Amino acid sequence: MSKTISLKKAKKQNLNILIIDDNEQITQLISSFLDMSNHNCTVVNDGIEGLEQIKTNQFDSILLDLSMPEFDGYDILNTLEKDDPTQMHKIVILTASSISPYVIQKFRDLGVSACLQKPVDIDQLLSSINDTVN
Amino acid sequence: MFKIKQALFLIFGITSFIIFYIGILNYVTTQDKNMGLLILIFSAIVSVGTMFATFYISKNLTNPIEILIQQMKEFSQTNSFTASSLDDKGIQELYTLNKNFEDMANKVGKALEKEKQLNLELKEMDTRKTEFMSMISHELKTPIMPIMGYLQLLKKEDLMGKLNEKQLDALNEITISTERLEKLIQDVLTAQKIDLGKLSTEKVNVESKVLVEDAYRAFHPFCQNKDVQLNMSLDGNEVVYSDSDRISQVFSNLISNALAFMPEKNGIIEIGTLNNSENMTFFVRDNGIGIPEDQQKNIFKKFYQVDTSSRRKKEGSGLGLSISEGIIKNLGGKMWLDSTINQGTTFFFDLPKVSVPIENLKSLKTTSQSNHISS
Repeated sequence: MSKTISLKKAKKQNLNILIIDDNEQITQLISSFLDMSNHNCTVVNDGIEGLEQIKTNQFDSILLDLSMPEFDGYDILNTLEKDDPTQMHKIVILTASSISPYVIQKFRDLGVSACLQKPVDIDQLLSSINDTVN
Repeated sequence: MFKIKQALFLIFGITSFIIFYIGILNYVTTQDKNMGLLILIFSAIVSVGTMFATFYISKNLTNPIEILIQQMKEFSQTNSFTASSLDDKGIQELYTLNKNFEDMANKVGKALEKEKQLNLELKEMDTRKTEFMSMISHELKTPIMPIMGYLQLLKKEDLMGKLNEKQLDALNEITISTERLEKLIQDVLTAQKIDLGKLSTEKVNVESKVLVEDAYRAFHPFCQNKDVQLNMSLDGNEVVYSDSDRISQVFSNLISNALAFMPEKNGIIEIGTLNNSENMTFFVRDNGIGIPEDQQKNIFKKFYQVDTSSRRKKEGSGLGLSISEGIIKNLGGKMWLDSTINQGTTFFFDLPKVSVPIENLKSLKTTSQSNHISS
């Protein structure tokens, strides 16, 4: 009985999530975890494609890696800031390099929802995604 | 100070003047004018001869010395010199002195040049090593996230199904090792940053009490698990301008270190502050096995581990103390230790005080928390 309820609950918060990261193992991990948690994932492995996805489709939440070859996470943030700042609150930044509280504050000022440092705890990731929706 | 030339001319000038003067005096006072004239002429010749001799000696004596002075000056400034055109017709000792100096300077110059070259090569190698290590560490860091993520995922009964106890034990072992690997990579990266002078710190005004209490809270349960008593001793409360995240990293390294060298029973670790006039001194004291005096000077070197000759397992990377010292230096303080064999070790570090009354800084308490936002 309780299982059906939790499933129903999960169905209810079925989210469209975009994952932008050039590391396929990481996107694989995140997307399979989110799939299992009943969310719809779109995975792209480079920044340009990521930006196109953001422009053409509606997502509830966007997971963004900062360091990617050519068009990186910073480029995406810059473009969105100019073209479509309303998307900012959907963004959860994932980064491998350590960033200072000062930079984190800068991201916050831009309207970014959260900034997580890899290796990211997957439960924490899920709660950050839920925060973007609320 | 006077020059050889001046001294020579002064001495020989006076001498020749005296000789000439005696000649004149003799001529004026003598009865035998012919003999007097002869002596006068002789004294004149001697005086003039002395003057010429003075010229000659002065030239041969001072020239090589002046050249030597010039060469030495040049050598001390540029590690090279212009060879002299001295011939061996002058004063022999000075000629030999000059040649010997040139031989020596040539050898020293070559050795210095070689050393300079070697130093340059070493420096370049060191930079390349650091860059390589940093690249490797980044590459090593990348797979950690999928490993940790899948481990976490496997433990989720509702998503992946139930695991039996043995499988769970195996997963836990993998998790412990992966966490250690991650810590090691993180340490190597931090050490690299310190080496390259790229360590980032975020300084804020923070109470010394808060820094110690944070460390106490973080490590109290951990110490309890290991049957070690963790005590806190605060000497006043002052404001320091520092990076609370980095300080907690230092406390964490020092406490982990102390835990690794605890006695079998009744292990006690004390953390706290000592209030000095200019600085706030923080300390981590243990009653562990102590560090031999001859090894204390190496303790802050990278990858150095104290040879305890006990059967204790060495778990650390050998980077913790080096990193801690680097952080404290970066924050404008210094770190030192005091240790007695079989009695224990105390690590100290200083942080500069800020002369602001604590009551005036209402927002202080939140500073140490706001730094942890989502990081």
